Amino acid sequence: MRAPDTPTEQPLLELDNLRVNFHTATGIVRAVRGLSFTLGRERLGIVGESGSGKSMTGRAILDLIPHPGEVLADRMVYRGQDLLTMDKRTRRKLRGRHISMVMQDPKFSLNPVQTVGEQIAEAYRVHHKASAREAKQRSLAMLEQVQIREPGRVYELYPHEVSGGMGQRVMIAMMLIAEPDILIADEPTSALDVTVQLQILKILDDLVTQRGMGLIFISHDLHLVQSFCDRVIVMYGGKAMETLPAAELADETARSRRHPYTLGLLGCLPDLDHPKAKLATLTRDPAWLA
Amino acid sequence: MTTQPAITLDRLNVSFGDSHVVKDLSFEVRPGESYGIVGESGSGKSTVLRVLAGLNRDWSGDVAILGQPQPKIRNKAFHRAVQMVFQDPYGSLHPKKTVDDALAEPLMIHGIRDAEGRIGRAMADVGLPASFRFRYPHQLSGGQRQRVAIARALVLEPTILLLDEPTSALDVSIQAEVLNLLQTLRHERKLTYILVSHDLAVVAHMCERLLVMQFGRGVEEMTAATLAARSPKTAYAQQLLTASEGFRRKAG
Repeated sequence: MRAPDTPTEQPLLELDNLRVNFHTATGIVRAVRGLSFTLGRERLGIVGESGSGKSMTGRAILDLIPHPGEVLADRMVYRGQDLLTMDKRTRRKLRGRHISMVMQDPKFSLNPVQTVGEQIAEAYRVHHKASAREAKQRSLAMLEQVQIREPGRVYELYPHEVSGGMGQRVMIAMMLIAEPDILIADEPTSALDVTVQLQILKILDDLVTQRGMGLIFISHDLHLVQSFCDRVIVMYGGKAMETLPAAELADETARSRRHPYTLGLLGCLPDLDHPKAKLATLTRDPAWLA
Repeated sequence: MTTQPAITLDRLNVSFGDSHVVKDLSFEVRPGESYGIVGESGSGKSTVLRVLAGLNRDWSGDVAILGQPQPKIRNKAFHRAVQMVFQDPYGSLHPKKTVDDALAEPLMIHGIRDAEGRIGRAMADVGLPASFRFRYPHQLSGGQRQRVAIARALVLEPTILLLDEPTSALDVSIQAEVLNLLQTLRHERKLTYILVSHDLAVVAHMCERLLVMQFGRGVEEMTAATLAARSPKTAYAQQLLTASEGFRRKAG
């Protein structure tokens, strides 16, 4: 069953007027310009084109914006704890343990000189007091949970010895072993084949429904977000153009209520059911960013 | 059909060491047709394209282009007729060469005099402003780079274009622009396309017929209409189609 964001329950994450700025030699680059949302125990999709600020939003929540960047917000609260006033140490303890992130490409995100099993066990021991033995047991169980058939064999493999789909599952296992409340998945399946992609989504879906995790699913794939998420934020130029229930993306009758940018994005996708001689191209209105 | 096929592939086999990546593959593409090849990673679809382009010399079987049987090492006339566009416009353009250098090189190799005019025309054809001519790849966006790659393929005025995932590295809005451009060029110049893609909707939009590949074999050849009607015959093609429709929760 779905776990909708009920107003009586405290949200997992509240963001108000989030801004991410980069101070460069040629001026300030504003990557995120005033984004607000709350996250409950649900699947929240963030879609947008490259440069829309969707990945920066995920990184800002984890305090992973690199040096010349600054993160500003009116409010940024994780289960009643203010992230803005929190000291670095406490924030770091939250990261990985309570709020975690799965990156896009396992080829670049795993340590190439350590076996995948050791990396998962390390993630566990950083956050929990556990013996090496116990951490290994836990890692093997976690590998099994992400549908890896021979956990014992895979544990000993190095990242270059596993396929893309398996690498992605290893990363998910690593992020989930600490049992976070919020998982930020930044394009977790875009490097994968469609059939593997569905298996990964199934794992994420089970975690939301069974463990009540909050999932922020960052993607450029509108079809996927529409079929997988509960709510969707459509971003353009660092701003939310609109937030809508995912089911309404495909709803023809709701078209008149949609933002022109959302319609533009949907319109330029080739569609099996509605063949068209020429695809629509996007016209962008500077007023959207005003 | 009395017309000679543009591309004929007969019992193509490709092996890399012990792994047999293309197995007894045969198909024909008619002149002016757009033919799609779909499959998952490792299905051998890009390898087929590389064999056709002459980039892979380790194969057996028969390959004929415009009725001419092709040897392992192709001659210049072949490259004038057949050109390829690669997937990643960030990797397929030399970072230290300008757009002008990239477009001039094929002309120089083939000893074509009117470089000035041809480069100008090729850039106009793909919708690049003339002011971009002396820019470097890092000064261009992903969509603009892919236009340069298409212009580079067109500058020799080929009749066959081999397209290897030409839009998968691009945003959807840019993808639409590039696909529209490819459609227009094809109709204006009567080009023949082979388009390799993992995106069934893109293939259905661009191609009249397509081939589904799995583990190096051609699983099923069908028309785009069959795909749109969701009526492939084989289980694998059906599975691929279902998977591409997005995520489905089991009821209850």
